[in-house]
Amino acid sequence: MAATTLRVHLFAGMAEAAGARHLAIAWSGGTVGELRSAVAAACPAIVALLARSAIAIDGRYATDASAVPVTADVAVIPPVSGG
Amino acid sequence: MAVVACRLVHEEIDTAAVLASVADAAAGAHVLFVGTTRGVTGDVVTLGLEYEAHEPLAQALLGNLADEAVRTYALTSCAVVHRLGAVPVGSASVAVATSAPHRREAFAAAEWLMERIKCDVPIWKREEAADGSRTWVHPDGPSAAVVPEHGS
Repeated sequence: MAATTLRVHLFAGMAEAAGARHLAIAWSGGTVGELRSAVAAACPAIVALLARSAIAIDGRYATDASAVPVTADVAVIPPVSGG
Repeated sequence: MAVVACRLVHEEIDTAAVLASVADAAAGAHVLFVGTTRGVTGDVVTLGLEYEAHEPLAQALLGNLADEAVRTYALTSCAVVHRLGAVPVGSASVAVATSAPHRREAFAAAEWLMERIKCDVPIWKREEAADGSRTWVHPDGPSAAVVPEHGS
């Protein structure tokens, strides 16, 4: 499958640590677990928080075994503090 | 048919309107919880809070939680409003209103909803301390939001 650019949205302290609201990750398909590795490699500043974060794919929380299509809308969800 | 309304807003929450929105002739109990920005925690002074969210996901999850609360606690109605952006000390960041035939269910549902909102919903706060420093709050430990069974 041809590689495309996946836009990964960041929030709150993660966006602050990365200095960006999103990351552009080269992606040709794979699992959430594989995407975590790619995100960590692209932005070492967020590795610690990434390990404690959930991943949402197309508006739903996903497991590390879930597939991430090249067209996916991806967001990293660090521990929440609403309320 | 129970009425459920969940919203994210960027302005002041009209808490009286949130309570009024769950009024139901079949209810004998109406509960309103209002979470506000606390200015003092022990000896630490907070000047204000700022909230941000993954808005589509937060909106969807709030709706799912409210639906689940209605089913679990047999509510007649339920409303959740969370404010985003700057929330000054003393102002409401979140309002949860429930109505039910009897008070026990209305109180329990409001408490359950607040617990789930604080664990599952992608909303974050940034605290401004007395020295002007601003810090995003990410509670210790892994995100509790991993793979809950949230229906559709």
